[in-house]
Amino acid sequence: MVDNPIVDTPTPSVSAIRGGMLGRILHLWRMYAALDLAFIVADLKLACLYIVADTISSVALVTGMLLLSERFAGIGPWSQLQVIFMLGYATTVSGVLNTFFGYNVLMISRRIGRGQLDHTLVQPQPILVSLLTEGFTPFSGSATLFPGIGLLIWAITGLALPITAGWLALFVINILSSIASVLAFSFLWGSLAFWAPRAAEEISSSATQLLDQLKSFPLDGLAPLLLGGLMTVVPVGVVAWSPCRSLLGIDQAPYASWITPLIAVLMSLIAIFVFRKGMHNYERTGSQRYSSLGHRG
Amino acid sequence: MNALAHNATAASDIAVELVDVHKMFRQKQRSERLSETLRSMLHPKVREVQALRGVNLQIRRGEVVAYAGPNGAGKSTTVKLLSGLLSPDSGSVRSLGMDPVRERVRYVRNIGVVFGQRTELWNDHPVAASFEWKRVVWDIPRPRYEYMKDLMQEVLGLHEFFHSLTRELSLGQKMRAELGLALLHEPALLFLDEPTIGLDVLAKRMILEFIKQLNQSQKVTIMVTSHDMAELEQLAGRIVMIDRGELAFDGSFARLRQDVTDQRRLVLETPDLAAPTLQGAELIKSEAGRHEYVFDAAHTRIAMLLEQAASQTTILDVETHRAPIDQVIADIYRAWRK
Repeated sequence: MVDNPIVDTPTPSVSAIRGGMLGRILHLWRMYAALDLAFIVADLKLACLYIVADTISSVALVTGMLLLSERFAGIGPWSQLQVIFMLGYATTVSGVLNTFFGYNVLMISRRIGRGQLDHTLVQPQPILVSLLTEGFTPFSGSATLFPGIGLLIWAITGLALPITAGWLALFVINILSSIASVLAFSFLWGSLAFWAPRAAEEISSSATQLLDQLKSFPLDGLAPLLLGGLMTVVPVGVVAWSPCRSLLGIDQAPYASWITPLIAVLMSLIAIFVFRKGMHNYERTGSQRYSSLGHRG
Repeated sequence: MNALAHNATAASDIAVELVDVHKMFRQKQRSERLSETLRSMLHPKVREVQALRGVNLQIRRGEVVAYAGPNGAGKSTTVKLLSGLLSPDSGSVRSLGMDPVRERVRYVRNIGVVFGQRTELWNDHPVAASFEWKRVVWDIPRPRYEYMKDLMQEVLGLHEFFHSLTRELSLGQKMRAELGLALLHEPALLFLDEPTIGLDVLAKRMILEFIKQLNQSQKVTIMVTSHDMAELEQLAGRIVMIDRGELAFDGSFARLRQDVTDQRRLVLETPDLAAPTLQGAELIKSEAGRHEYVFDAAHTRIAMLLEQAASQTTILDVETHRAPIDQVIADIYRAWRK
């Protein structure tokens, strides 16, 4: 039998763990990054194919708009380089989402519908911490991020934008808001799986696909009602169009830079409210079904 | 010791306590007729399924309790309530002095759960990676982790496949790894829901031995559900049976046999092909001079049966057996259904 010289080593208290929530998140990210790297290097050839395919598919999503802006030297009030900036911004948003919210965290309806939240609930940490960390895949999930950053650098260099600390701060706030909006939209629809696990299992992927397919279209000139809908009900406008208009100075209204953050906050609050309602329902009814795809499948 | 102190000791001796727990689920009813399907869109038909009806149950620390019942009896609902995955409609669920749902984060640190048909292992990584993952998420201090990892490897024989990909393991190896993972943080209370489902005889025996050893050496409280009654009898001194949401029996296996019926089998070998007629025993099989009877030992003495047989023919050989526990349980389930 193995010797046990350290019987009295105390386990950490919950308050000690909660006390350093940020530290814990960073600690968990490091561990998930190591797991992701191990996954990649286990079969490097397959991983390279996977990353190349992901990169091609993400670039293909914005290529149509890129070619249109090339053919017509811009679109509406947008110059060609401004269009490239918007495409880079939209691709970066997708890239960050894929990097930080893989393993079906972004596609939350799959986890709920497949009964896999049970796996999250038996972990001794707040659900928020699990959801913020479990999907971190910096190596296998970042294939979309680099083309996005590349397009942004190309556009910023070409446009010779006056990059100030204020502009950079607004850029970061807006891109985080766009990410939060997509996440909130996915969680909002995905929460339906709490009440209809089978029917709504794929609803998060449908919702995010909808945003993915429309995110690169400039929405200028649309009727106010339609535009309002595309900024709120289906928030395509906040994924890239609205924040880029303000960052590039196309919309010079003083509040323009705060439209996306405001919508992100409102959508996040609604999503949190609905998700919590769903969790209470889950507590009452439990998972109605379970798909044995492993706890992150 | 004063009364207050005595009560406190008594309470802390209880690992699990369910008091008058009710749980109901609603199931939407579907019809195969189109007209009724359309009507149900406006007025859905809902069936209420009472999963638990006033369940009262106490499990003492260090006890191994078998929890059995037919399909749909309420076993999994109970395990989910105790794992913090479900809340009761009414009544109280306390485990290790905590409310499993309200104090989930603190509570799950002290329990281990193994669902036979679910896995906590990372499929695309070696078993070692799942152990390391658990160390970080459960915040297990490094020395404790190293000690428990070595212990689990030794006791469960994980060495041979510890660095193999989980998806390439056999069912038995996966279950051993799953058990090791569930125990890595040294839980005080372990819930095992069908832990040996689908395993071969050898793997099953190894896991049962390990569970028994774990209870004896670490005093871990264990609640185990299974449909394999022989397996439960090997593991637990106490069996709690549930039927249609109500506790139907709570006691030892020996008492269960006595309470229901002390059913025995008698096998006689005679030179004649015809089976002797025995009052108080029922002939269930007769083949080439070998005759098998079933009788209730509480009402019929075996000597009386042998006397009857000897008066009718020559007895070449005699065997008696207790009815297998599976048979006893099957009879109980049948009686409940009537």
